[in-house]
Amino acid sequence: MNTKRVNWWAIFWGILAILYFFLPMYGTLDFSLRMKRGEISLMAYEIVFSDPRFWEGFRYSTIMALITIAVSALIFVPTVYWMHLKVPQARPLVELVTILPFIIPPIVYVFGLIRTFSRPPLQLTRTPFTTDILIVTGYVVISMPYMFRAVDAGMRAIDVRSLTEAAQSLGSNWFQVLAYVIIPNLRIAILSGALICFATVMGELILASFLVRPALGPYMALLGLTKAYEPAALAIISYALTWFSLGLIQLVSRGGTAQQLTGR
Amino acid sequence: MTHLELIHIHKSFGSTVAVEDFNLSVRQGEFVSFLGPSGCGKTTTLRMIAGFELPSSGTIMLDGKDLTYTPPNKRNVGMVFQSYALFPHMTVAQNVGYGLKIAGQSKSQIAARVEEMLSLIQMEAFANRYPHQLSGGQQQRVALARALAIRPKVLLLDEPLSALDAKIRLELRQEIRRIQQQLGITTVYVTHDQEEALSLSDRIVVMNQGKIEQIGTPTEIYNEPATEFVAQFVGYINLLPVKVVTPSEGVVRLGNQLIRAGRFGHLNDKPVRLAVRPEELKSGFAEGANNLSGRVESVTYLGSIIRIRMEVEGHLLTLDMFNERRFTVPKAGESLSVHFPIEACWLL
Ligand SMILES: Nc1ncnc2c1ncn2[C@@H]1O[C@H](COP(=O)(O)OP(=O)(O)OP(=O)(O)O)[C@@H](O)[C@H]1O
Ligand SMILES: [Mg+2]
Repeated sequence: MNTKRVNWWAIFWGILAILYFFLPMYGTLDFSLRMKRGEISLMAYEIVFSDPRFWEGFRYSTIMALITIAVSALIFVPTVYWMHLKVPQARPLVELVTILPFIIPPIVYVFGLIRTFSRPPLQLTRTPFTTDILIVTGYVVISMPYMFRAVDAGMRAIDVRSLTEAAQSLGSNWFQVLAYVIIPNLRIAILSGALICFATVMGELILASFLVRPALGPYMALLGLTKAYEPAALAIISYALTWFSLGLIQLVSRGGTAQQLTGR
Repeated sequence: MTHLELIHIHKSFGSTVAVEDFNLSVRQGEFVSFLGPSGCGKTTTLRMIAGFELPSSGTIMLDGKDLTYTPPNKRNVGMVFQSYALFPHMTVAQNVGYGLKIAGQSKSQIAARVEEMLSLIQMEAFANRYPHQLSGGQQQRVALARALAIRPKVLLLDEPLSALDAKIRLELRQEIRRIQQQLGITTVYVTHDQEEALSLSDRIVVMNQGKIEQIGTPTEIYNEPATEFVAQFVGYINLLPVKVVTPSEGVVRLGNQLIRAGRFGHLNDKPVRLAVRPEELKSGFAEGANNLSGRVESVTYLGSIIRIRMEVEGHLLTLDMFNERRFTVPKAGESLSVHFPIEACWLL
């Protein structure tokens, strides 16, 4: 054993970082438990969970998130596949396009959407259903950087071209190549993309509130303006949701490797 | 009986010409290699046979049918890649059975064929392993079995051994030949390794810059190279600039020493070169043969062979002799005379 010199600076910065991240969260958690004066209680959580608007928002956002995941997987898996196979030189352009949602503020984006789709020829904001179509499209765009990167990383890890050609020479058509060879090797990548997508949509505020849909984000914001303890409880709930998603990603990707190591 | 035929195949990528006027007929059951330096168009030609690349012009016929524009999944052509390209999420058995599953065969049919294929490559014990649990050589054998399982009309291999180390490469090379002959399958094999091409093939197509330099049996390619490129690319060869003395008899001179060539074309005033393989040269004088004398420059031991470089009339000449005890090996600086048969040299 070599006696390693203790790096006090590293420990100092480490503690500082932990405090920076966890102190506010601890504060929020602590606050959310103090609705009843002088005792620790789950009252704020009870109120949140008994509010039908919370459940409506939760239900709506979950459904939207699932649709978003399905749509963006359907869009991005074939697109990224095609890019890898046929136009690898287009990568810089595609990467640029996929980070646009980071560059253009959502507020600008949503005004663009509203201006374009609140009048003919495509007046989507007229009915709730068509607005939902619009909002899913918006969510797909907002979660695009994550979904693209996840799928792209998955494709990079396999030899897309040789696998495709091997499958083709064994008689597969394009659909069979994707379904039997490419997608099974991207399971983990698609799943982690989907989970990030899920977390993003569940917390999304701007699109939903400007398009006036009963999503979880606007509900949280509204609660934040009018109440004190409940928003803190909600914040903790959404943290929990996000962490649950992240934990699931970890579990799934680790599960994947373990499965490959043991040969299932 | 022509089985696979490439007629006037031409392929360009933008302004790059990859393959130019490629003509070849392959007989049923024949093993043909494409041999040539990097970038000469071997892979491109193979990929056109597989259907991954469309020729810019020309026709590909298989079994008497025009295949030029048939998509790759309808060709029934087996392909083996340098990178193995096994499906990582499938077991060995699933990999080998994949093509049969796509073809819609029943579970029992697939199982029987997979077993047959695994016994062909002697890997029955590995049926339930995943590709990443196999060595490179084993993976490539599985890839071979997978390609053969669908009973393809033609087997195509693109440098299948170049990712493997030398010993495995030699082993697998023999195995490929054994399996090919056992099944009698028409095979096209791409390589830039001349030893591989010479030892495996019924015929070799030597390519250079998109064009065919020569098509011939390994013996023809080595002993009667049609062009200077083939002579230099396959094996080592001495090329000595000589002056023509008697054009009708192929007599030339190197400095003041006269040589008679066994093969020569029409000789005019153009510069010619005398070609002779290093192993044809023997030390000593011989009546009725070509004799040259010079001075030894260097002697290199290569195990079973000793390579001697000597200077003759200002030019370097290489000769290989077997490392046998009865030979006295000359030393650098000594003078040496060598002889070689008239029929062993030719003019280019
Ligand atoms: N998709 C492509 N786009 C543009 N040029 C290409 C493409 N594929 C091949 N080429 C060009 O065609 C020529 C022949 O390439 P090919 O891959 O057939 O060579 P090769 O004989 O297989 O070489 P190697 O031994 O290095 O594999 C090369 O000049 C190459 O740059
Ligand atoms: Mg090649």
